[in-house]
Amino acid sequence: MTDYGHDLLFGAFITPVAQPAMQPVEHAIAAEEAGLDLVSFQDHPYQATYHDTWTLLSYIASRTERIRLSGNVLNLPLRDPAVLARSLATLDNLSGGRIELGIGAGGFWDAIAGMGGRRLSAGQSVEALEEAIELIRTVWGTQSRNSAGFAGNYYRVDGVRRGPAPAHDIGIWIGSYGPRMLRLTGRHGDGWLPSLPYLKGGPSDLTEMNRYIDDGARKAGREPSDIRRMLNIGGQIASNSGGFLNGPPEQWIDDLAGLNRDYGISGFILMADDPGLIELYAGEIAPAVRERVAAERGVSSP
Amino acid sequence: MITTTSIAPDRASVRASQADDLGYDLALLQHDSVHADSADIWTLGSWIAGQTDQLQLAVTVADIPRRLPSVLARSVISLDLLSGGRMNLILGENNLSVDAVGSVIEIVRGMMDLSERKALSTGGYFPLRGVKRGPIPAHDVPIWINGAGPEILQLAGQKADSWLAPYQNMRLEDLRIANQFIDQAATDAGRDPREIRRSIVVSGMISDASDTFLQGTTRQWVDDLLPFVLQGGVGTVLLDTSDVDTIDAFAREVVPALQEAIERERPVDSSATRIRRADVRAKRYAGIEYDAVPASLRDSATEPGDVTYPAVRSTYIRAGSPGIVLQARTTAEVVDALAFARRHPDLPLSVRSAGHGISGRSTNQGGIVIDLSQMNEIQVIDEASRVVRLGPGARWMDVAAALQPYGWGLSSGDYGGVGVGGLATAGGIGWLSRKHGLTIDHLKAVDMVLADGSTVRASAEENQDLFWAVRGAGANFGIVVSFEFEAYEVGNIGFGQFVIDAGDTAGFLEKWGATIEASPRDLTSFLIMGPPRRNQPMAAQVLTVVASDDPDTIVDRLQPVANVGPLYNQQVMIMPYAALMANTQGSYHDPGGEPAARSGLIEYITPEFARAAEHLIKSGTVYFFQIRSVGGAVSDVPPDATAYANRSANFSVTAFGPDPERVNQAWDELAVHFNGLYLSFETDQRPERLEDAFPGETLHRLQELKAKWDPENVFRDNFNLTPNVTSG
Ligand SMILES: Cc1cc2nc3c(=O)[nH]c(=O)nc-3n(C[C@H](O)[C@H](O)[C@H](O)COP(=O)(O)OP(=O)(O)OC[C@H]3O[C@@H](n4cnc5c(N)ncnc54)[C@H](O)[C@@H]3O)c2cc1C
Repeated sequence: MTDYGHDLLFGAFITPVAQPAMQPVEHAIAAEEAGLDLVSFQDHPYQATYHDTWTLLSYIASRTERIRLSGNVLNLPLRDPAVLARSLATLDNLSGGRIELGIGAGGFWDAIAGMGGRRLSAGQSVEALEEAIELIRTVWGTQSRNSAGFAGNYYRVDGVRRGPAPAHDIGIWIGSYGPRMLRLTGRHGDGWLPSLPYLKGGPSDLTEMNRYIDDGARKAGREPSDIRRMLNIGGQIASNSGGFLNGPPEQWIDDLAGLNRDYGISGFILMADDPGLIELYAGEIAPAVRERVAAERGVSSP
Repeated sequence: MITTTSIAPDRASVRASQADDLGYDLALLQHDSVHADSADIWTLGSWIAGQTDQLQLAVTVADIPRRLPSVLARSVISLDLLSGGRMNLILGENNLSVDAVGSVIEIVRGMMDLSERKALSTGGYFPLRGVKRGPIPAHDVPIWINGAGPEILQLAGQKADSWLAPYQNMRLEDLRIANQFIDQAATDAGRDPREIRRSIVVSGMISDASDTFLQGTTRQWVDDLLPFVLQGGVGTVLLDTSDVDTIDAFAREVVPALQEAIERERPVDSSATRIRRADVRAKRYAGIEYDAVPASLRDSATEPGDVTYPAVRSTYIRAGSPGIVLQARTTAEVVDALAFARRHPDLPLSVRSAGHGISGRSTNQGGIVIDLSQMNEIQVIDEASRVVRLGPGARWMDVAAALQPYGWGLSSGDYGGVGVGGLATAGGIGWLSRKHGLTIDHLKAVDMVLADGSTVRASAEENQDLFWAVRGAGANFGIVVSFEFEAYEVGNIGFGQFVIDAGDTAGFLEKWGATIEASPRDLTSFLIMGPPRRNQPMAAQVLTVVASDDPDTIVDRLQPVANVGPLYNQQVMIMPYAALMANTQGSYHDPGGEPAARSGLIEYITPEFARAAEHLIKSGTVYFFQIRSVGGAVSDVPPDATAYANRSANFSVTAFGPDPERVNQAWDELAVHFNGLYLSFETDQRPERLEDAFPGETLHRLQELKAKWDPENVFRDNFNLTPNVTSG
């Protein structure tokens, strides 16, 4: 039993296809209308059939009213942290505090280098992310007071222009898998955002990964519950059960409530480009999971 | 024409919306270097795109190289797509050398250039290696250059689409000097100086008191600005002020007065003409009078050098390279486009609605395409009689979705991306054929543009002969700009998908045919087979619609179909008809070559035909073999009632193969079994096919009507009837 006690969050992970150009916009609007809490988009700028994720996110923020938005996750090696910080703050202000920062250290280094980005080793990319987070928080003015400049090994800004300050405390959600990244998530993150399809051993991998995060948090003097655990999930609605998240809605409800109970997952982000499925997820599955988790928490917490 | 520099982003957004409402053409977004708390301008621009409808956006990007040029290029394309082609990019020297700005332009243009299949690699300031190009933007995003030094002016002359004066209220003398630099550089680079639009920023106050430059009445503003336009070559005037009254008065009074003054002084308004860049013009085809494109179509026309050309050159099954694609949005524009096409009688002319033509060659090599995809209205005219008006460019999935809320439908075909224009002028063999007949059987009237540019209406009351011809051979007679249909009630349907063993292919086909014939009319079934695959049993995919939402009826109807052979897989769903049709997203077409398709209509799946079909399928000559049920209501209509006359058939047979010669040879062997063909699934152009499509008297009558309505054979891209071959 692991539960970090966060309220539950249900979101969608929508493919940012550029053809037809408005498809991701329409899906995001459908997700808002269906009642989801969050829409999120992967970010692979070398992928020529996708929209630019940040542009898309900004446009969708403008076309929606309530739903929160995030990269899932933004590609740090191709996005300068100072520009990112200002962009996030700008959009957070315009949207009334609906923006979160999902970010990752990057992969696909050949493609990144082809685009003119800097090629880093896995280890360096973790260090760069750590620096970037510090720089971003500096620009937001939420950390150190005087910030005449930022001189890191990876990022260097002379006379950081502070602000604008975001409209709300933007969560930094980190897409991480390896021990170093997970400990970093524990030290600095507000949230953790891995994808279930990447977990070789399935959900049970989460136990050990959680431990690295908890460990990183404690060593930095934080509480493990400071880090919200989220998960990108994919699945199929079917009349008969055919495995994890593959079956009737009742099974989904069991499986998702189980992810909360067993691994402390409190954010469930559905990877789907099917408005019908999004509607079912938001309208039937999410409320039932909320109810179930509330009931279980009521029973189990003394 | 406002700059939103020193105001907060939320106010900038409000101001942009106001400008949009006031009819301003463009808003310029630019960093305020003084303000410490400065917002990210790209984010603001993307937000504003979502708040506005018409307003063009010119976004100044000043944070290169922090913002990588490659990522910027993708962002530019995205924002152009999301805003529906309203994006402009402004670059300047902000901590970049002039050469570096040149490199950024190269990257942005290179990323948009999908006519080049090779990945993008660049040297110079921002080396890229093997970057995939794309996506295709909504339009050729104009790149502006902002700056005053001789080098930047030279770059503007060489590469830019627009030049932006670097400071407010530039004096006319200074503007002329800048222009000289730009013009010289343009000419040296082989460009027409008019390719580069000149933009100035002005500031002032509109008031009654009239004294200094741009401080005064509307009159004075016009007097002050007019020389900039007439002598300074200015095409864009940007107003920079936070005075709300001035913003308002400028749009309402100064702009119209200025425009009027310009027209008075310069009767032919050449500034309105967009002059394509020299590198775009260089790709023009000989023999097309590009400069004679009617004004109404000039902005939306696509030429081989345009960035959007790769998105419109080809159709679903056919790669093409037309010399120009004219995008008509109204009947008047169709008339204009046709007049332009008729100036080029020797070039191929294609009429395109949604580009899914198989027989219809809605693209060509070197010719003209009239594209109707924007004429895609779907409108209920009369709810009581269920009359709906459809534009030719509407896709059938959108039609189904629009009719669903009324509980109505129209059987079309099996694919949602197919257009109204091509299908509703030919036949329409769809999911509800046996119950409701062909699509054309519910057509009540059409409005058409004829070869001579006149517009006529054809229906049971008016121009009956034309109305008869349009229903089956419409492509030969003109361009239908509007269709009126009487829809019928269609609710949820039952949809069965079976994969059935077809090892004994002939036996299976025969049994399936007999089963369908014995079924009530509310059942329509399509079967698909491919060539044998190694280590896999022969199987057929059988897709069957039952026009009922009653589970018992559906099971009742589907059971015999499921019994045709051992089932490998089965799925039965009850769904809205519109959901069945929503089977494609739709994006641009990029086919490799051009397959051969053949069609045959047949009354019964006889043992002889079944054996011949088995032979064909197993030969590997065709990769796709399909039989659809027709008959039922299709056969209720007398053969002479429409130009689609092959009414007795119970089945429509189709095959696709890569090699026309082999496909034709194989198909000719099957021919003895057929009784005509459905032209929409036929690519063979041998003259005998005309007789197959239009049996006996039908062909004679069509040829006579062709001589009457299109004597010069303007419309010839789809089963061409030659008007001179009149019957004796
Ligand atoms: C994937 C696919 C599935 C199909 N399924 C079916 C099916 O189930 N049932 C069926 O009946 N057919 C089907 N078809 C055939 C289809 O109906 C025809 O190819 C039809 O012409 C496509 O219409 P379009 O408007 O998309 O084509 P376009 O390529 O735009 O036009 C094809 C031709 O139609 C003529 N035309 C187009 N618009 C007009 C107009 N406004 N006025 C006069 N002539 C015009 C022109 O000659 C043009 O060359 C299918 C085709 C494809 C590619």
